Amino acid sequence: MSVPVAMLIGLLMGAVFGFALEKSRVFEPGIILGQMQLRNFQMLKIFLTAVTTGLVLLAVLHGLGITKLHPKATIYSADIVGGLLLGAGIALAGACPGTVMAQIGVGYRDAWFTLLGGIAGAVTFTYAEPVLKPVLLTSTTGKLTLDSVTGAPFWILALAFAALLIAGLVALERWRPWQREIGPDADGLSGAEPEPGAPQPRRWKPAA
Amino acid sequence: MPRFTDRAWSPYVSGVLIGLLQVPAFLLIGTALGTSSSYVTVGANLAELVDPGVRAIDYAAKHLDGAKNWWQVALVAGIALGALLSASLSGMRRRGIAPVWRRALGTSSPALRFAVAFIAGFVMLAGARIADGCTSGHGISGIAQLAIGSIIAVTAMFAGGIATAMVLRRA
Repeated sequence: MSVPVAMLIGLLMGAVFGFALEKSRVFEPGIILGQMQLRNFQMLKIFLTAVTTGLVLLAVLHGLGITKLHPKATIYSADIVGGLLLGAGIALAGACPGTVMAQIGVGYRDAWFTLLGGIAGAVTFTYAEPVLKPVLLTSTTGKLTLDSVTGAPFWILALAFAALLIAGLVALERWRPWQREIGPDADGLSGAEPEPGAPQPRRWKPAA
Repeated sequence: MPRFTDRAWSPYVSGVLIGLLQVPAFLLIGTALGTSSSYVTVGANLAELVDPGVRAIDYAAKHLDGAKNWWQVALVAGIALGALLSASLSGMRRRGIAPVWRRALGTSSPALRFAVAFIAGFVMLAGARIADGCTSGHGISGIAQLAIGSIIAVTAMFAGGIATAMVLRRA
């Protein structure tokens, strides 16, 4: 596939992705930080719903032999160290590498600094990669997956895992109805006053 | 029925829509949904402007060009356009800095927030590149492929995120 065609497809897919992220409100820093502070579970709901959808789709597409899978290599040290740093960054950014672009799209000013920091981090990693590779980034196990380890067919495990996640989501929704969780300004804040002495947040109200 | 002008959709409608993007990703591009390697493609191309030697690094060479790499850059740019479109249709465009940061950081200083955001972005992408994936690549796509490394990376991501967030003020 040529680069311009791939980019056109990417742009269209990205527009759908961004539209869904905005409508779900999961791009709001209040919702992402709120998830990490365990006071808001909107991010987990959207995340697990997208995972569940992927599990069902890939069970069908892979089960029927229409597509092959592209799992990443299992590298315990890199997955743990990288994951911890990624999570710390997400909490302080109030964004993920994808949702920061939705923040830029809707107009949040600080998201531009997150993006610049992200590019700087990626460039720094690129220059450091040859040094990190032998100590942190070399897989000794290859691409481990639950199906390859257990020997069970992918589609059975994927559908079983999807069923488990759906049960979890039903319980989560009963515990925390989503309409209440997004809050009055759809940014994951309850709207309650902050503690005395804290600066009053300026709330942006949509035009009537 | 969800409408384009709605302020918010159910997380389940949005989540299914995001998950459905795996179909064109796997069938048209031959890859899973992901976002964080696009930062390497953009960053390495910028670096090459001042340092042509960057291409000698295998990792940079793998990300500098090609349809899959630029597909992901376009995907990430498209996210901004889609979010802008959605927010414009619902009257939910935002300005300045989200109110949560005044509560979480205990100050309304934009300079402090910009500095924290830059450092956060740096750490976030360094971590994503070490782990070889982020919330999309390891999370949405990796777990959907039952990849054990992805399940470990996402568990570590939430552990690191929760530990860091607890240091900030409860918003």
